[in-house]
Amino acid sequence: MSDDETRSLLLVFRHSPYGEGLARAGVDLALACGAFEHPVSLLFAGAGVLQLCPRQDGNSLGLKDIGKQLASLPLYDIESVYFDAEAGTRYGVSPQDSPVPAEPLDAQALQRLLREHRQIISL
Amino acid sequence: MIYSLLVLSDPTRGSMARNAAAFAHTLLARGHELHRVFFLDKGVLCGAACGIYPQDESSPLDAWVSLAQDHGVDLVLCVTSALRQGMLDEREAARFERGGATIHPAFTISGLGQLIDASAASDRLITFGG
Amino acid sequence: MLPADAFDAEGFLRRLEDWSPEVARQIALAEGIELGDAHWEIVNLLRAYYQEFDSSPAMRPLVKYCGLKLGADKGRSIYLLALFPGSPAKLGSKIAGLPKPDNCL
Repeated sequence: MSDDETRSLLLVFRHSPYGEGLARAGVDLALACGAFEHPVSLLFAGAGVLQLCPRQDGNSLGLKDIGKQLASLPLYDIESVYFDAEAGTRYGVSPQDSPVPAEPLDAQALQRLLREHRQIISL
Repeated sequence: MIYSLLVLSDPTRGSMARNAAAFAHTLLARGHELHRVFFLDKGVLCGAACGIYPQDESSPLDAWVSLAQDHGVDLVLCVTSALRQGMLDEREAARFERGGATIHPAFTISGLGQLIDASAASDRLITFGG
Repeated sequence: MLPADAFDAEGFLRRLEDWSPEVARQIALAEGIELGDAHWEIVNLLRAYYQEFDSSPAMRPLVKYCGLKLGADKGRSIYLLALFPGSPAKLGSKIAGLPKPDNCL
C-alpha cells in the first residue's frame, strides 16, 4: 500500500444519477478534491454504477448532466476510478462506454480498496 | 482522538440528524475533540433558524447551537446545498439579492474544501445519513 | 450594450441567454480588460468546456484543458494570469457568460 493511498480519501457513490439521491453532491465533492489537489479515489457501487451510463441526458430533466461532469475528472487529475463489477453486470453498465475510464473490481478487490483508504465517505 | 462529522440527513425526517448531534455531545463528554461538523445536501436544513417543532418534541436546533456556543465547535453548511434550499447568511442573501439571513448564526456557510480539510485533519470522519 | 439592470451587483448576467460577444466585451471592460485575440481564444475555450462538461472549470482543469486544446505553451497558469489577472477561471467564466459560481471553491 503506497503512502498516497493511506492518506487518501475514498468516495463511494451509491445513488443513481437523477433520483432523490446524493449523486450530484458526490460529483461536486470529487471535483473539489481535485481542485484542492487532495488525493481521492472513487468507487461506484450499487445503483451508483448508473452514474456511468453512456448517453444519459440530465439536461432534458432541467439538471446538470452527471455523465458530462464525470468526463472532466481526468482534467482534475482524478484517475483512481473504480466500479463494483457485480453491480455493473446487474445494472447493465460496462466500462467501455462509461463517460470516464473506470476499472471493474471483483468482491475481493473491493475489500482491498476499502481497507487501503484511511477515510471513506459514502454518499 | 479528533473527530469530524458529516451530516447528510434531513432534520425533519427521522432521528438520524438528532443522532449526529447526540453523538457529538457524547464524544466531547468523553474527552475527545470535535474538529468540525459539515452539513451537506438535506443536512444543511439543520441550520434553519426558524424551524418550529411541537412543544413535546425537542428542537434539534438547540443541540447544534449548544455545540457551537458552549464548545466552540465549527458548524459548516455546504454553500451549494444551502443556496438551493434557501439557507442563507447575510452575505449570501446580499450576494443573491434575497431578503435576509435564514440560518442560525451558530452556523457558517462555506465550500466543500471545509469537508476535505476536516477529513485531512481528523482521525475519524463519521457520516450520518445518506 | 445591455442596460445596467441586466447585471447583478457583482456584475454577473442575470439571464445567461443575454450573452453575446458584444456583452462579453462589456463585462470585460467593467473588469478593466480590453478583449484581444488571446483573450477570445480563452473565452471561447471556456464556453466549449462548459458545453462539454456541464460545469465551469476550477483553475487546475482549465490550465490542463488549455494545454490540450491550444498547445503546451498556453497550458500554463502564468499565461492565463497575464490575460485575466487575479483569478483567471472565475474572471474568464464571468466574461464568457457562464453561470454565477456559488463560491464553492
